[in-house]
Amino acid sequence: MRPFAFQKMNNAAEALKDKKAEAQFIAGGTNLVDLMKKHIAQPEALLDVSSALPKDIAVSGRGLLIGVMARNTDLTLNKDILARYPLVARAVLAGASPQIRNMASVGGNLLQRTRCPYFYDVSTPCNKRKPNSGCGALHGAERMSAIVGYNAQCVTVHPSDLCVALAALDAEVKIMTREKKEKSISFRDFHKLPEATPWKDNTLPENALITHVYIPENPFHQHFAYLKLRDRTSYAFALVSVAAALHLENGKITAARLASGGVAHKPWRWYEAEEFLKGKAPSAEVFAGAAERVVKGIKPLAGNAFKVPMLKGAVETALENCITQESYKQ
Amino acid sequence: MKIIDTCGAPPPADGRVEAREKVTGSGKYAAEYPVEEVCYGVFAVSTLAAGKLKSVKVEKAKEAEGVIEILTHLNKPVVSGFSDETKIRESRLGLAVFHTDRIFFKGQPIALVVARTLEEATYAASLVEGEYEAGPFELDFDKARRKATLASTGREKGSPEAWSQAAATVEAEYTIAAEIHNPMEMHATIAHWVAADRLKLYDKNQGVNNVQRTVGRVFEIPAENIEVFSEFVGGGFGSGLRVWSNTLAAAMAAKMVKRPVKLMLTRPQMFMLTGYRPASWQKVKLGADREGRFLGGWHQAMNGTSTYEDFNEWITGVTRLIYHIPNLKTEGALVPLNLSTPTWMRGPGDCTGDFAIESAIDELSYVLNMDPVALRLKNTAIDKHPNNGLPWSTNYMNECIETGARMIGWEKRPSKPLQLLEGDWATGYGMAVGAWNAGRGYASAGIVMQKDGSVSVRTAMTDIGTGTGTGMRNIAHEVTGIPKNRITIELGHSSLPAAPSQGGSTGLSSVSGAVVAVSNDLKTRLAEYAAGINPAFQGLKADEVQLTDKGIALKTNPGAVVSYHQIWEKNDLKSLELEASSGPGEERQKFAFCSTSAHFAKLRVNRRTGRVKVEKYVCVADGGKIINAQAAANQMSGAVTGGIGMALMEEMLIDARVGGLIANDLAGYHFAVNADTPVIEVAFINKPDVNINPSGAKGLGEVGIIGVAAAITNAIYNATGKRLRDLPVTPDKIIA
Amino acid sequence: MTKHQYSRRFFLRSSVAFTALAALPAGVKAFYVDVENVVLPPKQTLPLKIKVNKREYEVLADSRTTLLDLLRENLGLTGSKKGCDHGQCGACTVHINGERVLSCLTLAAMVPGQEVTTIEGLAEGNELHPMQQAFIECDGFQCGYCTPGQIMAAVACVKEGRTGSVEEIKEFMSGNLCRCGAYNGIVQSIQKVAAQ
Repeated sequence: MRPFAFQKMNNAAEALKDKKAEAQFIAGGTNLVDLMKKHIAQPEALLDVSSALPKDIAVSGRGLLIGVMARNTDLTLNKDILARYPLVARAVLAGASPQIRNMASVGGNLLQRTRCPYFYDVSTPCNKRKPNSGCGALHGAERMSAIVGYNAQCVTVHPSDLCVALAALDAEVKIMTREKKEKSISFRDFHKLPEATPWKDNTLPENALITHVYIPENPFHQHFAYLKLRDRTSYAFALVSVAAALHLENGKITAARLASGGVAHKPWRWYEAEEFLKGKAPSAEVFAGAAERVVKGIKPLAGNAFKVPMLKGAVETALENCITQESYKQ
Repeated sequence: MKIIDTCGAPPPADGRVEAREKVTGSGKYAAEYPVEEVCYGVFAVSTLAAGKLKSVKVEKAKEAEGVIEILTHLNKPVVSGFSDETKIRESRLGLAVFHTDRIFFKGQPIALVVARTLEEATYAASLVEGEYEAGPFELDFDKARRKATLASTGREKGSPEAWSQAAATVEAEYTIAAEIHNPMEMHATIAHWVAADRLKLYDKNQGVNNVQRTVGRVFEIPAENIEVFSEFVGGGFGSGLRVWSNTLAAAMAAKMVKRPVKLMLTRPQMFMLTGYRPASWQKVKLGADREGRFLGGWHQAMNGTSTYEDFNEWITGVTRLIYHIPNLKTEGALVPLNLSTPTWMRGPGDCTGDFAIESAIDELSYVLNMDPVALRLKNTAIDKHPNNGLPWSTNYMNECIETGARMIGWEKRPSKPLQLLEGDWATGYGMAVGAWNAGRGYASAGIVMQKDGSVSVRTAMTDIGTGTGTGMRNIAHEVTGIPKNRITIELGHSSLPAAPSQGGSTGLSSVSGAVVAVSNDLKTRLAEYAAGINPAFQGLKADEVQLTDKGIALKTNPGAVVSYHQIWEKNDLKSLELEASSGPGEERQKFAFCSTSAHFAKLRVNRRTGRVKVEKYVCVADGGKIINAQAAANQMSGAVTGGIGMALMEEMLIDARVGGLIANDLAGYHFAVNADTPVIEVAFINKPDVNINPSGAKGLGEVGIIGVAAAITNAIYNATGKRLRDLPVTPDKIIA
Repeated sequence: MTKHQYSRRFFLRSSVAFTALAALPAGVKAFYVDVENVVLPPKQTLPLKIKVNKREYEVLADSRTTLLDLLRENLGLTGSKKGCDHGQCGACTVHINGERVLSCLTLAAMVPGQEVTTIEGLAEGNELHPMQQAFIECDGFQCGYCTPGQIMAAVACVKEGRTGSVEEIKEFMSGNLCRCGAYNGIVQSIQKVAAQ
């Protein structure tokens, strides 16, 4: 690590006031400390916001307000989440390890960098790490890379499981700017595609802090599944993952959500498939139809074409698991 | 036959001799010894795959706070054993770290930054840059192997084409990705020159005497001037059988800065600086008659090596070990790549070759429409070694197979794929066998007895987790009768009685003979002393007396005891020290020796998502007499876990464009986590091999992994009808 | 040739590794940072009061020091192991305020005010913690290097109540790699303690 100054912050306002461009906020540290050890992140100063920001999880209006410093583990134990937003807990449990979930904050999860091996290896090019150095993964080891939304600048994927669930549930990211203005960014706009600026992962303004994540009320606490396919049973990043949630009334699907990790630079929603499911009675054929719509027109890279059939299988399986509630049975 | 089934057995309370140190964290691994004035070394490594190192830019790094010295090929203290090309070759170390300007692989050390603290050294190392003259390189094993020329790897038997004339034939190619040992403890050394020609090394390795000899040779100082401490070794699997750059560079740096230097490799460095199992390609041709008798075989194999050293896995060896194949040809070739030199990794060669042979036999069983268990039982060479014709001292391969079949419930196996279906899940059964030439080295062991009757049993051999120390204690207890709690074990230190490295399943097999010998010597010596006090002990042999916590007793009359106190007083002893050695002898001309294993897997495959779930796994092994059933079963189930990794996930990732490895860490290189395995069931034949050594124990470390990969892929075929011949079988290959 | 052009050329023609390599300028690290232009910041030293195993330590620590390195290199508590240093293996697992965390990804500077428990603090004097005893009896290790981390995780696993089945134990212990593959004994140890 490059030497850095360290300061503990008492509240958000103080943290924002003291923040210089070369400084970075630190909370759980599970991602940033790793990146600093790799000399990928080299902040001049760390501002410890772990006790400066809210961490409570509370019902708020018709939804749930999660303090940004809630730890990932908290999301798996909170009664309101387990009762009304269990998809969130399921997704969190599919990620990392108990130790990391105990450390990692919700905010850090949203802001975590990619796990692309080229990003992590400073002897290889990576536009995300060093702008305009090229994309190492493209035409390289593309197996873990994106199949949608990528461009020649960057083919990596967003590594979070939690964010896939939050995307599926139309969450909102509450932020505070240096001017102490509070704003809300819809989850679908929070993470971005690589576009011409692959070094930017999201739309959080400079010198702003996330304070909360809000999940609006939804009816998806009965029929939900999070399916993560990976190279080993646990403690590995997704090849593809699927968050699926259905609401049924009188045997018909009245609302559906489908989102994926491991496929794009951001958590990816499958809106067309969601629309297709609406009004239909759940069946293997209907789920297969939804899966068809998910993979329709996807142009994978040369090295990860397998992700298309795998995604199709994952969508079908996740939807079936929504009905059977066998979400651990992958 | 006595089978030890370790599943469900109540655990013994005494555990391993070093258990307490391990569960309290007090055992010292290499980098953990407190050494005054120690400073820290961190490697900077080459970012190119091949060429010449023109210079190393160290200026910026030198400015960084805390830096004491930066060692490069330009300023290193010349090590006499590396002083010219001839000597470098003679050193047999392959890479003469810092004594060459040639770059052989990406990740090769180009500098060692030494600083006051680890943080300072790590940061400064990131500021070192090499200036290179780039050279051509090759990293594509699949491409390069096509240029390699196969050569015979053993005596040709009969006609090599005989296989093709048989009623049932199989011809198929198999590949296995390179794998990394990745022991949990990263290789580390603390080097401390206590005098100009006296060196202390706290070092992670599998053989202290090997380190002592090798470092002595390279630095041209007497081996006895080098003291090596390796009392706790955090795994090896073969990576600790050679002396690597971390040991040599730490010694060089410590000489240069005149302070002890601690150097622990980083995890990414572990991928290129401590060996690996090379990538391999194989082709097997096999033919059998309608009854399933093998008529002919032809096994071709190639493995990757480096451009500066040949490493031959001898992949085809196993084909000349397990079955009678009357017409047989085996061939091999090496494929040089711009990677570091591979090395032995658990079950070297056999593990690789076995995957191909045991897959091909499974394929043949479907051609013949014959049960794979029956097919194997028809062909196993249980009378004599199929290659050298010597009778086996013991060979219980068929018992292993039959027991394993019973334990897994083999009768439930469908004879065709796609029979056991439940939704997208398909269930299948698979099996394979493994074997390993059981060896033994020349080893010494000592005993030191105190007046209070406590003894220390000692050897230089390391215990890398195999339970060697516990085995030694158990043998000493069994031979002498001294209670286990009066026996302590000392090992892993170069001043102790010399022993070979812990590897190739020879550890306990080698040292156990010496422990038996020295235990008997102790009894004889004590009987001699006792005879001076009680004439009843006159002229007694070791097996006529028994030792207790108090003294020596007659076996025929346990009441007749001469106490240690009496012996010590009468002979004015301080302590009684004995040493004995034992090694292979004439028995090697009379018999062949092998350990064997049979592997059975029942697993489920999801045909839609590619997920493989191993539901039940049975491993039955013959390792001769089992000295410590619990540790032995642990070693076997651990080896199976390694084999499951080999079958399903382990893969060194190479990007030929960037000239080397990518994803070289424990997030990018997957090996099995707890959730990847079922509770693995292990059983042993547990019959002593009376010819191999006085203890009757053959080795177990290798046969636990040899056969696993094929058992898994054979089960996947039985479940799905997909024959997967390229390891690892990741989910994408299942759904392809 | 600017760096930008170079990298385009390298990767557009990447299939011809040999040709591309010949075009490689010295210093591939240009992909990351221009070393010559690095400004070397001074080391920052922080006075920290850190409580480990109920004992208070006052240390002057480099801001970069992780809890793991502080324990191993400064406090002589080498029971917590370094297996990867990047949160990928679990060997460095300790408890902070009674919960399992990775000490390799915890900056020492963030620890003051919290209670750290390492493997050295688990036993009460000579009396081993039941989990340590269970690991001995069930042979939950081979080489012993991942063991302290396994035991710290196992103690937490029981406390968290994630011991309902072998599958659940295995899932909640999958953040602790064991290359020896002593998973049988680890699971058995946890079952044993959970049943007490």
